[in-house]
Amino acid sequence: MPETRSVYRSEVSCGSSSLRVQLPARAVRLLAIGVALLGLADCRPKQDEKNSGFSRAETFYLGGRQWGEPSSFNPLGTSGWPISTMNLIYETLLMYDSLSGQMQPLLAESYAVHDDRIELLLNPAARWNDGQPISAWDVSYTFELGKKYKSLNIAPIWQYLNAVRAYGQDGRGDQDAKRPMSGNDYPRHVVFELNLDKKNPLVVLDALQAQSILPRHAIEPLLAARGDNLDEFKKLKFDQNVVSSGPYRLLSYSSEKIAVVRDDGYWGNQALHGGKKPVPKYIVHPIYKSNDAFSVALRQGRLDVSTTFVPRIWLKAKKGVRSWFDREPYFVTSSIPMLLANHQRAPVSDVHLRRAMAFAINYKDIRELAVSGYSEPLEPGLILPFGLERKFFSEEDAKRYGTRFDPERAKAELEAGGYVAVFGPDGQLLETRGPDGKPLPTIYVKSPTGWSDWESIVRIAVKSMRAVGIDARERFVDTSLFWNALYEGDFDLIMFTPSTQPSPSKPWSRFEALLTTRDFVRTGQRMYKNMGRFNDPNAAAYLPRIDALLAQIPTLTDDDARLSAYRELNVLFMQLQPDIPLVYRPDTFYEFSIKHWSNLPSAANPYLPPLIPGDRLGTNMLWSIAPVSN
Amino acid sequence: MLSNHPTLEHIFRRAGWYFVTFLVAITINFFLPRLGDANPVDTILAKVSAGLDSASAKAKEEAYLKEFNLVELDATGNVKRDARGKPVRTSLGRQFINYLGMSVRLDLGSSILQHPKRVSEIIKTALPWTLALQLPTIVFGWLLGNLLGALAAYKRGVFDRVLYPLALLASAIPAFCFGMLLVYVLGIRLEWFPAVGGYDDGLTPEVSWAFFQSASYYYVLPFLSVFLIVVGGQAIGMRSMCIYELGSDYVKYAKLLGIKERQILFYMFRNAMLPQLTGLALALGTMTSGALITEMIFSYPGLGMAVLTAIQGSDYPLITGCTLLVTICVLIANFSVDVLIGFLDPRIRAAQLGK
Repeated sequence: MPETRSVYRSEVSCGSSSLRVQLPARAVRLLAIGVALLGLADCRPKQDEKNSGFSRAETFYLGGRQWGEPSSFNPLGTSGWPISTMNLIYETLLMYDSLSGQMQPLLAESYAVHDDRIELLLNPAARWNDGQPISAWDVSYTFELGKKYKSLNIAPIWQYLNAVRAYGQDGRGDQDAKRPMSGNDYPRHVVFELNLDKKNPLVVLDALQAQSILPRHAIEPLLAARGDNLDEFKKLKFDQNVVSSGPYRLLSYSSEKIAVVRDDGYWGNQALHGGKKPVPKYIVHPIYKSNDAFSVALRQGRLDVSTTFVPRIWLKAKKGVRSWFDREPYFVTSSIPMLLANHQRAPVSDVHLRRAMAFAINYKDIRELAVSGYSEPLEPGLILPFGLERKFFSEEDAKRYGTRFDPERAKAELEAGGYVAVFGPDGQLLETRGPDGKPLPTIYVKSPTGWSDWESIVRIAVKSMRAVGIDARERFVDTSLFWNALYEGDFDLIMFTPSTQPSPSKPWSRFEALLTTRDFVRTGQRMYKNMGRFNDPNAAAYLPRIDALLAQIPTLTDDDARLSAYRELNVLFMQLQPDIPLVYRPDTFYEFSIKHWSNLPSAANPYLPPLIPGDRLGTNMLWSIAPVSN
Repeated sequence: MLSNHPTLEHIFRRAGWYFVTFLVAITINFFLPRLGDANPVDTILAKVSAGLDSASAKAKEEAYLKEFNLVELDATGNVKRDARGKPVRTSLGRQFINYLGMSVRLDLGSSILQHPKRVSEIIKTALPWTLALQLPTIVFGWLLGNLLGALAAYKRGVFDRVLYPLALLASAIPAFCFGMLLVYVLGIRLEWFPAVGGYDDGLTPEVSWAFFQSASYYYVLPFLSVFLIVVGGQAIGMRSMCIYELGSDYVKYAKLLGIKERQILFYMFRNAMLPQLTGLALALGTMTSGALITEMIFSYPGLGMAVLTAIQGSDYPLITGCTLLVTICVLIANFSVDVLIGFLDPRIRAAQLGK
């Protein structure tokens, strides 16, 4: 560097005046060209000048479901691109209303749960977009695909079903499925026969509101032409001339957006919506690459509704951004992120240590600092103390058996377990000694790198645990390694949210996801429920009561019996503390902008649950919203 | 015979070396992503199998492994499993042979995470956006930067005193910081320019005035975010080079000989240009890897994001496809510069031939 400078200095005197005069002119010219180039780029088109594309007043923009370029719209495809699982194109039999707990009709106009079966009656007006009626054969065919192809999402339901049968009005069976259909002469009556060895109407109801029904007359020949080879079938993209039943059709897609266009011949307009059409002609899902981009677009009114995480949403209110509530917790929460403990690995397999952790964690900090306050205050146990689950929640049990933030009780619990914390002179935790007097290995809390809300939750939990004398540390791992560790049980503590979506089977499915011992295998092999390997059925301490309650609850129909069963199960959970619930979270976020469309559902106008259009019942808002006139 | 044509000999020698480099590079490209513990099937399974019972999850896993050719099959077409019940993965060696075979047929295979999409298709849709963003910024940034740098070195005085710190600042700002600043100030606060996307959400890419207008309007911020940084970096480099050349013996000698300023200037510029040219070639070569940060901040279409998601999800075919593209571009760019410099600078050619 000094050398350069000295060279520079020596040259200063050599410069010639002619050079100095010539160069500025050239430089000015070049700069002018540069500026002109930049200026050219800045030709702002006026908003209403567009003669091609989607006009703003007819287009509803939604965001947050799609994060990359869609590769296929195959309804049996592997990548599960959201738009094809949304009921804009294919439709489900029923739609679950998470506000009232009722099922709303869609393809099925009514349903009834019997002791050994669930019966549905299809809407007589329901038609595929090629004019064919939607029949009970379509329903049985769709479900039976899962019997044939074990890798399909619908396959697991078959452990709870014996058969799905189609019946005509006269009670005729489904033997004559090949008969051509004409007029009203087709079966509309579907019977789901339950497997009584594993009787569980709840999971069947879950499937009825989750599984899109496919057109048998379109899918079957395509599969047959490929020798019934599912892998070959999955290569079809289903991106044009698709036989479907929903109110919209795929219009175009690219790496930047997906657009669907209204199908004015949609059967449900007459049958379900009193002759009205959905208001927006187009629905467009722009594909942005980060949460922030969706937030910015929402703020600028480029998006009308989004299902992404928007931090500090109250700051965006003056830009017209709204959420379900206009004050804390802003969103309707329905899931419980928690720390799963590994019951096959010391020391977290010790209930004293787990309860000490549960007493140690500052849940208020987690709620306020890690999740922007988007959560109700945490109550102990696995039952949400609000909403539809409230009727199964017992405040009395929670007070008596539950763990809350209380560092003194955490320390007492550690002492009861024979643990001794050794702090250094500066108050830093040096080590935790176990009941045998030896220092415990550090307890690592695994969480995926880059999931910033989980990272903050874990940091707060670790800090709280260290403060009472538990030697815990964060361990953030690559996402795919995280899932591997989760299923194979390679963790001390790990972040996880069990069974998140509001559905008819809540809160049972949350308990089941954490406590069931079905398919129990030791760590090292994969387990997709109860990843913490709680309640080993081969161990001496096995509690058969838990599995018995899990099997019993879905079969109960009496609310009192359900309440007492749920209470017993929740008390067991609180006493044994197999896992440590941390905070409540929405299953899906729901924010909207009031700039271009009005009458979107919110707590003040709760005619539909907080879901974006296309997502289950959220679709129905398309018939009720109105463009904002400027 | 070639010894009579030193230039040709030089070119052939270089080409040979580049071919060897290419082979080594594609081998590394193949093995590197596959060495870690992560594998793409876990990533996909993670999304779809939480809460499934073990039998269905196993069926799903086998279906994926078969679909992507990642597993050994026994005689009956079932997935082979080891003693612990884990599927036996296809050996790396065999995968490599498959890969070489496909590469010879110019077949990049299908992406795993975006199955059944072809890798070539993904690259084809993303590449134009990447080129549109990168090529003008690099070329114009390089030209403007070098001119400004040279000017600063000649002019000195106020021009240099203003330009030099500005250039330092521009080149030293991290790209993400600068990009976010642009988005925040010009996109969100002042709302002069759109903050995210490549064109208006209400349009579809087509050859029309409305689309062109919209795309150029959306282009401004992403362009600036890279352009200014390139200009700054190039200006600093060129300024130092010119100052160095100004002090060299041949310039002094030429001045003593009374050669015209313009002529001296030309000599000097030509010499100062050489290292800058290499820089340009490298930048042009690596540009196909995409401007990841720009793409992320502005949600701008392009290859960078494709590569990132591919790496995160261990989407082997897409990673190898993209790295292959980058490898080829870098090698071609370097090779052209080697040849070009050989022509521009006879000293290099002579040195290469050991004469």
